Amino acid sequence: MRNVAIVGIGYTPVFVSKRRDVCIPEMISEAVENAFKNSGLTPADIDAVVFGNMHTFEGLNLPHLWSADFIASLGKPVMRIATGGTTGMSAFHAAYYHIASGLHDVVMVVTYEKHSEGDAQVGLMGIITPEIMAMLAAGIDVTGQKGMGAIGGGSAGGISYQATSYLHHSGAGIEHIDAIAAMERRNASKNPYAHLKDPEATAEKIAQTPLISWPIRFGHVCPTTDGATVCILASEEKAAKIADKAAWVWAVANCASDATTGNLIEGIITDPGEQMPATIAAKKAYERAGIQDPRKEIDYVEIYNGFAHQTLMFLERIGMCEVGEAHKLLEKGELEMSGSLPVNASGGVVSTNAIGTSALNRVTECALQLMGQAGEHQVEKEVHKALAHGWGGLMQYVTITILADKPKKL
Amino acid sequence: MEETRQVQGTWDLSTFKFRIEGEGIKNMLKEMKEAKLLGNRCHKCGTVYLPANFYCRKCHIAIHEPAEISDHGEVMSYTIGYADVRGNPLDEPRVSLMVKLDGSDTWIMGAGEDMKPEDVHIGMRVKIKWADQRVGNLQDMESFIPE
Repeated sequence: MRNVAIVGIGYTPVFVSKRRDVCIPEMISEAVENAFKNSGLTPADIDAVVFGNMHTFEGLNLPHLWSADFIASLGKPVMRIATGGTTGMSAFHAAYYHIASGLHDVVMVVTYEKHSEGDAQVGLMGIITPEIMAMLAAGIDVTGQKGMGAIGGGSAGGISYQATSYLHHSGAGIEHIDAIAAMERRNASKNPYAHLKDPEATAEKIAQTPLISWPIRFGHVCPTTDGATVCILASEEKAAKIADKAAWVWAVANCASDATTGNLIEGIITDPGEQMPATIAAKKAYERAGIQDPRKEIDYVEIYNGFAHQTLMFLERIGMCEVGEAHKLLEKGELEMSGSLPVNASGGVVSTNAIGTSALNRVTECALQLMGQAGEHQVEKEVHKALAHGWGGLMQYVTITILADKPKKL
Repeated sequence: MEETRQVQGTWDLSTFKFRIEGEGIKNMLKEMKEAKLLGNRCHKCGTVYLPANFYCRKCHIAIHEPAEISDHGEVMSYTIGYADVRGNPLDEPRVSLMVKLDGSDTWIMGAGEDMKPEDVHIGMRVKIKWADQRVGNLQDMESFIPE
């Protein structure tokens, strides 16, 4: 295994609801161009490309091949990865494997989502089509009003059950979900690449947004965003020549579990708040990174939180605090940019969700914090090690990446 | 002005075949017609599945031991719906429950009736309200009501 570093990051100039001025490959090319500018590399330096976005969201099959000449991949190996919400980090992990294995030296990760050209609800339904079809055949009531398997949850769907379970087992209240959502929207206002920004956000203001499905309110939910993110990785030898500053990969890990909410046909519905894969993947990542006590050794965390309660819930699941402790850290201000455990200074997924990019942005945001390049949303404490978390699949798949400011001793 | 074009189509449900339908769903629906619940148990680890599974998810072995499941159980999680799947507000809030029926290790979901949203809580005891006219489909179970 070889050391791998992040040597270049490129975002689209904006992450917004609707980019009407560009088509999908054109939008992606903006992030590619910015990654080249950021790294000083040219297309000739790239050995291979890993591409990621949500399957079915824009109804565009093979976007990595349609985009071939927009992502500088002509004549090069390209693969597309799609693992749901985790896609961006899975693509990053694949690029890491390319280089750590010794097969390639410089690999570019390209991720995007252009929600305005698709329908996220239809896309999400596509993931569970066979289940839905079988349940329809068994006479399920699709309006969710009666019968076994009536899913409920409205547009927030199964996530509402997860939030209820989290509140019950942690002792937190809906006011804590309001407060973490407000913190992240405030953080987002300092990030030029965030979508929903509100420098004046407060828990009280979030609490005034309508309930969708208890305990999830409109103010707790991510937007649908158009945007693209590119990340260039290199071997240790190449990184020394390319970059003055780099963020180093110390560990990658991922874990799946059985499909939970909504999976009546396969007969397993268990606690969507348990998130055992997060606990297992984090433990594996700590082992691989040689971390004994993550609470002391990890300085910064980016959590994948399509819904605001997940910041608190996953901090507990990955062992950054005890069960029932995250909302107390929030109350004390420890999760703020000025706190002892700063989390989602970027504003998190709850503020910006171009899904294909979202799990990769957790990694690139950790990298910016490590390199001291996060600008206005740079946290106050020194960051030497950071953890990026991704969540997705059928609510039961988790990816973890641990980065540091220097290469790992091999 | 934005325009959405619509294309009409049909999707044949019989296209989707599941082995589990034979052993799991179909057997369960047959029993539901009699207001009973039938799942199965792994002979190795004892996990009880509803609907029955043709293999144990944990042990990865074929399982065939039938297990009768109670129509009483405990609320494990819940949500109160205020909007439909397209975000339109509902006239009345709608209670949806995740319930672990007594004797089963897996949970099922369903609507909660005869309960005020503010009274619903994790750990609450409920039972299935069966339809008067049962036809052998998932709507034979109408909802959960307080025990």
